[in-house]
Amino acid sequence: MDLPSLSALVVLFSLTMYSLLDGFDLGVGVLVLFGRAGDRDCMVRSLSPTWDGNETWLIMAGVALLGLFPVAYGVLLPALYLPLVTMLLALGFRGVAFEFRVQPGARRAWWDRAFGIGSLVAALCQGLVAGALIEGVSVSGHAFSGSVLDVLRPFPLLMAVTLVSGYMALGGGWLYLKTDGLLQRHFARKALTCSVFAFAALGMLAIAGAAVTQSALQDDWRQHGLRHAAVVLLFYGALYAAVSAARSGSERAPLLWCGAAFVLALTGFAAAVWPDVVPFRISAELASSPARSQALLLWGFAVVAPMVLVYSALGYRVFRGKTPLVAEDES
Amino acid sequence: MPDPVLLARIQFAFTVSFHIVFPTMSIGLALFLAIVEGLWLKTGDGLYLRIYRFWLRIFALGFGVGVVTGIVLSFQFGTNFSRFAQMAGSVLGPMIGLEVLTSFFLEAGFLGIMLFGFKRVGPRLHFLATCMVALGTILSASWILAANSWMQTPAGFAFTDGRFVPVEWLKVIFNPSVPYRLPHMLLAAYITASFLVAGVAAHYLLQQRHVAFARRTLSMALAFASVLIAAQVFLGDLLAGVVARHQPAKIQAIEGNWNDVPRADYLLVIVPDSQRERNSVQLGIPLLGSLLVTHSVDGTVPGLRNTPPADRPPMGPVFYGFRVMYLLGTAMFFTACAGLWLKWRGTLFESRRFLRLLVWMSPTGLLATLGGWYTAEIGRQPYVVYGQLRTVDAISPVPPGAVLSSLVAFVLIYGLFLYGFLRLTSMAIRKGPEGDPQPAGSPPAVRRTRPALAVLRST
Repeated sequence: MDLPSLSALVVLFSLTMYSLLDGFDLGVGVLVLFGRAGDRDCMVRSLSPTWDGNETWLIMAGVALLGLFPVAYGVLLPALYLPLVTMLLALGFRGVAFEFRVQPGARRAWWDRAFGIGSLVAALCQGLVAGALIEGVSVSGHAFSGSVLDVLRPFPLLMAVTLVSGYMALGGGWLYLKTDGLLQRHFARKALTCSVFAFAALGMLAIAGAAVTQSALQDDWRQHGLRHAAVVLLFYGALYAAVSAARSGSERAPLLWCGAAFVLALTGFAAAVWPDVVPFRISAELASSPARSQALLLWGFAVVAPMVLVYSALGYRVFRGKTPLVAEDES
Repeated sequence: MPDPVLLARIQFAFTVSFHIVFPTMSIGLALFLAIVEGLWLKTGDGLYLRIYRFWLRIFALGFGVGVVTGIVLSFQFGTNFSRFAQMAGSVLGPMIGLEVLTSFFLEAGFLGIMLFGFKRVGPRLHFLATCMVALGTILSASWILAANSWMQTPAGFAFTDGRFVPVEWLKVIFNPSVPYRLPHMLLAAYITASFLVAGVAAHYLLQQRHVAFARRTLSMALAFASVLIAAQVFLGDLLAGVVARHQPAKIQAIEGNWNDVPRADYLLVIVPDSQRERNSVQLGIPLLGSLLVTHSVDGTVPGLRNTPPADRPPMGPVFYGFRVMYLLGTAMFFTACAGLWLKWRGTLFESRRFLRLLVWMSPTGLLATLGGWYTAEIGRQPYVVYGQLRTVDAISPVPPGAVLSSLVAFVLIYGLFLYGFLRLTSMAIRKGPEGDPQPAGSPPAVRRTRPALAVLRST
């Protein structure tokens, strides 16, 4: 495999890791807005020890794009100015809420709500980004040539709501794993089921909408109809498995199946877009940084990323099991 | 609508200035915490554990704000300076990518254990987590200083097809100013943390609260500060030499002269007039300028007119940024010396005037660091990559209105972050370290009126 292909895989891997790991964080954040006041603390606390590492995958994806495909980075970031800046502010809100809420004298209810709203806005913005990418941004030469308000069109807005429901499904799966008692059996299971149904329905609209708004996707459907249909079927199979696993009481399976649905959606889309990195506009080949640049970062990734995965897993292992309803230790 | 280049720069300057305050604290406090926890493991003295837990709380607050404001920066290269990203991304991107891999993940991965893992892991693994976080802060500083120094003193690249192409990575990473700027920043962070720790300790000593805690931390902080500041003075002088060699315009702006001046004053106040290429007001200390710059009273201090007008940085901000750093640094140096003197005489913990000074001095490290960064970054203008790429050629095709409105949003929301941080930090300080034994039955108001007696009683 050549350098641009490997580079694209690194970007895709980082984005997938981000959407899975911060996906359930953001989903829990949105669910906090629906949770009972007494449960909110436990919900947020289930994320506290690991959220920071999860969010780091977003920086990884962004910076990998800068180093591996600087042309794409320079086109996409101005094009996505509005949702990205809003997302960054919302993520900031969420992040400080995490740290501030546990401090003595902090107004916890206030910060919990800030946490929820920050998560919701960040998720919506990421959906806008996804929608704008599928619809295709305006490019002339190697520069963005559209308006920053381009993202506020029907399809990106549909994607925004779809992604929120998907993150809520992941969040429901996470809470189902990390909580017990009424919070698990009533709230988490209901949240999971409702979100998965919403995600399934909105996902159908989004798939249809993508084909309508992006003609390149229509051609792709005609050429590789079977492959696309298989991915869509598997996607729905995973969502079905998530709901039925929750009904049968398996604790880990709902989260894993929701995650599988996300991986399918992302790789399916990436396969349809390939060989472009600015979807339907600029190819990986043309957007690439010089071989020496890609080689350095790819080597670094190959050596360090496995270690990152190991100690991240260690972090999850240290904090495995149910999150206690009452804080055991907040340094 | 105002100038888009200026707006993009103001937005970046605001977000990066706000951000750098927090990593500066985190870098310093992370090492402090690692040392304290190591001492606790070694000696078993519970006081160290209380110190650790108290400062961990404040560290966590600052770290959180640092993380969320740092993410913004990694995207602003693209949102505000997309042409810079496209031209220099192939050089800077891999370096920042390695920063994320080797440092951000390390910090984030072990921070959870550090903050929430006391009862989940053994003390040794917990200490390992603290050390990993401290190591992460150092690695992060190393990569970001390598990247930023490449923008100051670019090396190891070729400029082909309208973009920077790395030719020799070792020369890119170990570019000429890195060996000076990296330790300069690390020392700045450690000195900053020392003064924060000393300030809080002095505050407690003045109030006669948490006396054992305050004495221990004040002694540690002053010991660190005095050694580190001495090293910093020496290093700063070396760095000035490097800047003079590679970025002469920056040194000319720092010194505040337009013409070459033999036996120059050390200027303290100037009102530069770039149109007429002169200072309409200037005040200074005779001969000290030549002495500091050339190490001889007869030396000649170069003026900014040596640089063609189109290549000049704005003199005022560079001059004053440097003065803030240099004068506060000097103040910290003398404060640390005085502290050592008082400690030697055995009156450090009782001399209220000095303790009050320390309280006032607690933010000086941060202000000096900001001053230094303003000098470095504005002094690099009008280039974004010194001598190679001008800032005007680097910005994004985003309308000024979008930049302005997002700038307003950043100011408002960061203002809220700062308010929250200051409020919660001051509450944590007011509450004090947990489990600190207080002299029973003597309310604070009574003790405050008889400080000398109270000190005697608690020793």
